[in-house]
Amino acid sequence: MNVQELIESGNLELYVAGSLSIEESREVEEAIEKHPEIKQQVEMIEAGVITLAEAVSPPLSALIWSQIVDNIRKVKSLSDSKPSTNWGAITGWAAAILAFAGIFWMLKEKNDLQDRVQYTTTQNTVLEEKVTNAETQLADANEVLDVIRSKEYNSYTLPGNQAVAPQAFAKVYFNKKDKIAYIDAKGLPEAPRGKVYQVWSLTMQPLTPTSVGLLDASRETKDRLFRVDMSQVASTEAFGITLEPEGGSETPTMDQLYTLGQVAP
Amino acid sequence: MKQPDELILSMQDGNEKAFSKLYTMYSEALFGIIYSIVLDEAVAEEVMQDVFIKIWDNSKSYNVKKGRFFTWILNIARNTAIDKTRSKAYKNSKKNLSTTNFVDIIATSDNLNRKTNAIGIKKYLDALKPACIKIIDFLIFKGYTQKDAAKEMDIPLGTLKTRNRKCMQDLKTIVLG
Repeated sequence: MNVQELIESGNLELYVAGSLSIEESREVEEAIEKHPEIKQQVEMIEAGVITLAEAVSPPLSALIWSQIVDNIRKVKSLSDSKPSTNWGAITGWAAAILAFAGIFWMLKEKNDLQDRVQYTTTQNTVLEEKVTNAETQLADANEVLDVIRSKEYNSYTLPGNQAVAPQAFAKVYFNKKDKIAYIDAKGLPEAPRGKVYQVWSLTMQPLTPTSVGLLDASRETKDRLFRVDMSQVASTEAFGITLEPEGGSETPTMDQLYTLGQVAP
Repeated sequence: MKQPDELILSMQDGNEKAFSKLYTMYSEALFGIIYSIVLDEAVAEEVMQDVFIKIWDNSKSYNVKKGRFFTWILNIARNTAIDKTRSKAYKNSKKNLSTTNFVDIIATSDNLNRKTNAIGIKKYLDALKPACIKIIDFLIFKGYTQKDAAKEMDIPLGTLKTRNRKCMQDLKTIVLG
């Protein structure tokens, strides 16, 4: 369709009225792009329609525009307020985060305190044990002191055997009545590994040794002081101490006799 | 009438001032179209508000390179007005007024304080052929498709087009002088 044909077709009028199909509209749009006289025609037709429509219009109230403006501003301000910072929410979140941080901090503090309490409790137990030990030791020491001071106990020194251990000695606190003896072995050399000192009660006529026990941990009251039960022995005239293999011997090994001494009848 | 493309682009960017200028340019014509359909000033004012809010909200869907801006807003105005006439409230309040057309409105108009001299136009419109009045009413004011208009008037499509063109030329000489 050339320019003149298009103008005479009546399509330009229908184009302005919006009654053309999409295809026909596209044709008119292309012609408008290419031919200024077509554009001019369309503008004239549009002006005619507008003037006619205006002639039909009743008077326009100014209120209409103000209401339109109110309406679009309301919508605008609503959409404007959306991206604006929501301080309430931010404060809320901040408070929540702070509260959580606080709770975690307090939990950690509580755990630390619990650990410290537990440590202190353990230390207390250790100290209590030490106190108990000290008390026991004190009791033992007092017991020893009582023994030494007591008139029931007689003290004897067993001198070292010149042939085996001239420097060695042992002390005996002997309660004849109750048949209890304390052997202080501090003057004896430390028993070597696998060996143990054995205490013998001796009667002289004839010479009869009777084992009254080993100086081992079971009899040690304190610091190499040993309590020996003499109730199995009828009478004692002398004490002898020999070094014997672990577990003790039936009869004393005479060449390992460290000390020997008489006691008062 | 040259299309104010810059104002339209400005409005599409959210410029209220540009929108206000476009309102001044086109509001009266659209109000005429709307009134010719709803035939009630209060209803027409309601529709008018809806139409311009739609224009503002949907401004980005118009492309200055495709189609006339006036044609775009004319369509919005006619469709919104026609939707209104289909509402129950409107149907209950209005009796059968569908035969009224733009010439009848101008003929009964007594308002002289307008930029368009309706009285002046009225004289010349009497010279328009009744067929022309019908065609212009259908195509411009009622927004019929050309097919529907041709069917309504019981004439072939080609005849409708040429007759419409002739009518529009007559109209042009009347309204633009």
